[in-house]
Amino acid sequence: MRKSRPNYLAGFGSLIWLLVVGLPLYVMLVATFQSRPDYAANGPLAFPEHFTLDNYVNDLNSGFAQYFVNTVIVTVCVVGIVVLLVPPLAYTIVRSRGRATTTVFRLFLLGLAIPSQAVIVPMFFVISEAGLYDNLIGVILPTAAFAMPVCALILTGVMRDITPDLYEAMTIDGASPRRVFFQLVLPLSRSGVSTIIVFSALQAWNGFLFPLVLTQSAETKVITMGLYDFQTEHGVDTPGLLAAVVLSMLPILIVYLFARRALVQGLMGVGGK
Amino acid sequence: MKSTLGAGRPGFLWAAPAAVFFGLFAIVPLLMVAVLSFASWDGLSDPEFAGLDNWKKLLDDPVMIKSLWLSVLLTLLGVVVQTPLSILLGVWAAGHQRNRAVLSAIYFVPMLLSIAAVSVLWRAVLDPNFGVPAQATWLFGDGNLFGMQSSAIGVLVFVSTWQFTPLHTLIYQGAARAVPQVLYQAAQIDGAGTVRQFFHITLPQLRNSIITSMILMVVGGLTTFDTVLILTQGGPGSDTTISAYYMYQKAFKSFDYGAASAIALLLVLVSTLISLIVVRLSGYDKMRSTMEGL
Amino acid sequence: MKQRARFPRTAVVGGAALAMVLSLSACGGGSDAADGGDTIRVLVYGDATNKVEKELVATFNKTSKVKVVLDTIPGADYQAKLQTIISSKQAPDVFFNWGGGSIKPFVDAGLLLPLDPFIAKEPDLKAKFLPSVFNSAVIDGTSYGVPMRGTQPVLLFNNGKVLKKAGVKPPKTWDDLLAAVKALKADGVTPIALGGGDRWPTLMWFEYLYDRVAGPELFQKALDGDQDAWGSPDSRKALGKIRELVDAGAFGTNYDSVKFTDQGSPTLLATGKAAFELMGSWEYSTQQDAHPEFAETDLGYSAFPSVEGGKGDPANIVGNTNNFYSVLKKTKHPQAVAEFLKLMYSDQFVKAQLGIGNLPTTTNTEGFLDTAASPDFAKFQYDLVKAAPTFQLSWDQAYPQSAATTMHQSLQQFFNGSMDEDAFVAAMQALPTS
Repeated sequence: MRKSRPNYLAGFGSLIWLLVVGLPLYVMLVATFQSRPDYAANGPLAFPEHFTLDNYVNDLNSGFAQYFVNTVIVTVCVVGIVVLLVPPLAYTIVRSRGRATTTVFRLFLLGLAIPSQAVIVPMFFVISEAGLYDNLIGVILPTAAFAMPVCALILTGVMRDITPDLYEAMTIDGASPRRVFFQLVLPLSRSGVSTIIVFSALQAWNGFLFPLVLTQSAETKVITMGLYDFQTEHGVDTPGLLAAVVLSMLPILIVYLFARRALVQGLMGVGGK
Repeated sequence: MKSTLGAGRPGFLWAAPAAVFFGLFAIVPLLMVAVLSFASWDGLSDPEFAGLDNWKKLLDDPVMIKSLWLSVLLTLLGVVVQTPLSILLGVWAAGHQRNRAVLSAIYFVPMLLSIAAVSVLWRAVLDPNFGVPAQATWLFGDGNLFGMQSSAIGVLVFVSTWQFTPLHTLIYQGAARAVPQVLYQAAQIDGAGTVRQFFHITLPQLRNSIITSMILMVVGGLTTFDTVLILTQGGPGSDTTISAYYMYQKAFKSFDYGAASAIALLLVLVSTLISLIVVRLSGYDKMRSTMEGL
Repeated sequence: MKQRARFPRTAVVGGAALAMVLSLSACGGGSDAADGGDTIRVLVYGDATNKVEKELVATFNKTSKVKVVLDTIPGADYQAKLQTIISSKQAPDVFFNWGGGSIKPFVDAGLLLPLDPFIAKEPDLKAKFLPSVFNSAVIDGTSYGVPMRGTQPVLLFNNGKVLKKAGVKPPKTWDDLLAAVKALKADGVTPIALGGGDRWPTLMWFEYLYDRVAGPELFQKALDGDQDAWGSPDSRKALGKIRELVDAGAFGTNYDSVKFTDQGSPTLLATGKAAFELMGSWEYSTQQDAHPEFAETDLGYSAFPSVEGGKGDPANIVGNTNNFYSVLKKTKHPQAVAEFLKLMYSDQFVKAQLGIGNLPTTTNTEGFLDTAASPDFAKFQYDLVKAAPTFQLSWDQAYPQSAATTMHQSLQQFFNGSMDEDAFVAAMQALPTS
């Protein structure tokens, strides 16, 4: 180990940060277990006097279950599209020498700088003309498209690390691009693939603007919209609102508990090496 | 890259599905934005060609200029606050001690919340009458955090930091663990202390990650939207109306799609420019190879 | 040396395969919320009143072959959503609006169905409503809207308990109000709760003070494009009154961080941390929803105080004259829509609206006032509306949409002192008029 003696300064700093991270989480949790009048009377820092689960029950009854399902559908579909399309793309960018490929790569690099807000107006009309307004597919398609540039960048970075010798060895054996891809490139880019899964899943899970503009009815509401509406509709029902926040993070929390390593390593991969 | 030519290399067809998909849902709308920026349109009747009207109006619009400046300011503050913080946390978390692992697991939690959830949470926590400020007047005074420009910007920067530091910390943590241990061993033999080691070994080795993380921060910062919509609605006045939010207002509050498109295009140009500058200035080889063709 | 992610191969491959299968099946299934065959889609502003609309739709659907589907859009986004979808395929059949200026662009674009043929067949569609209200959705001599919900005047609400403790009565005059502010401050409460973060609650103070000081004519002139209106001495006098009140500490200091829409300001009133709130009549249903006990016992209300020497009649009111349902030309079921609109003056509807504190403007309303949630509140409002010489529509509804954002920003900045009188006048003069 690099540091053998304890570093008090770092220890102190880490505790401060723990406070910064933990305090709002504490406020959130204790608020969700008390009634509205109790919360208003006792303030955000007090521990619940009369423990109650009503906030959660009410939220679930007011449609959050449906929002969950919608968000999961969106997330799974976005991840599916990205995982299906990006690895072959990255493979081509790394290995092909064609001009067209270079152009495509440039296009994706440009895509890094296109904020989704910038295209929201035409996107609305495209999706609406396609008859996909207020339909989850209409949210999935652009969300997936906008997750692609970063994913392509991450994955090309990983694939570049595969040494040319390995390619050559396979090519000399007369392997087709398809065989090289499935037997060499994919197995060696597993970490990259898990990174783009995590990244695109977070993008989809967090999606706000596309659902805001492209959906409207309760049947197509995703969790982020549910939270936003909740805030404007029920307002100072802070405990109920915060219970909804907690509910919104539950699925990811479960993934986090069971696949912490994969999730964390996947995100570490965003930075390359 | 001196391998046998041609054989075994994938053709363009491999990239085509992704290219077509991306083109359809990102590039085509972007081109439409470019066209719309020269049109006058309220979404009800047909768009009319308006020449440079939208652009002229924008350049004369004080709120527009202010919003660009605010976007840049917010982005810069984000980078300045988050970078040192996440480097320190990342390097610290890279150690393998048990307590660090436990704390890191907690630090990660904000990452599990969506931006909307985080904004909603902080709006409740920072409520002047029913949130933490009412309990800690020694720190927050009257709690008018959203009523003054400086504190409203502070809140926005702080909330993004709270949410995104875990991501950047992870990036640095991964990178710090990848620093070859021999370097530290050699430095220790030379008698270098922790601080010296940090500045002379760790930091230079993190260069690549710093660039990646900064690009993510810059693009993220320029496109901040949900946070502003939920926390400040661009207020007080127009004091936190950043460009991305101003564009949304022009489009969906004033229904001036032409002007909104012009702002959108401007936003794309600025964020492309800044990303390019960061990449160029850093001049990092590895990065250049990743960015080759640019 | 590098730490590779330890993602088991099977997990990646399996996960990817599963994701694809799921994505294909789920995407295929998707949601089919789009237009079904025999439905009418009704778009309404999402708030506490939706309870009544849902009941009404249920009643309608029990007997009708064509079913009504109610879509609610949270208030803050209603206008934006409406205008984006109204000219698209996804436009609703019937939608909520504020009449007058709010539907004029749609009429101009030829999107709305004239309702006169309906009325010819069913005269009650017009005759059952108070004419003054019905007429505000008549554009160029053609009817485009049927009143729904109710009229929503802005009133000065109070917390009776707090007033009593400070020995204050609901103010009749501006001086009463200033005196009350002083007494309440001395008593340690915020005199007036204000959701300044939302901006439109701030606007209400401007609307009333301009009316009381200068009379309703000044605003009408400004709206008609008369640049001098905002710079006139009367305008400056009204601004001076606002300044006086704010500087007296009537709203505390952190009002811009408080919102009505997240129920910050109503809670201040209900919990006794503030004594007054100037708000639309929906304050009542909001309190009934969130603080039922307070709504029943201590929630008081009065008309806006008069201003000595002002030109406006103290009986004038401001607010939302009414809400309307308008119908799109493209609807496939005009007959069913007409049937649905008839419910807007049904006894059931009137009673239900009164039950949550709204005040419908049908001719049968007066007969049901006793059945209201708070008969006193209903009668008070009814008499107020009936006696009012003018009922000023909210400024942000009267001006074109494109003016709203800038108007709200300027109001907020003048109010909190970050913009001076001259800059405010200039900003208002620069607003686009229709």
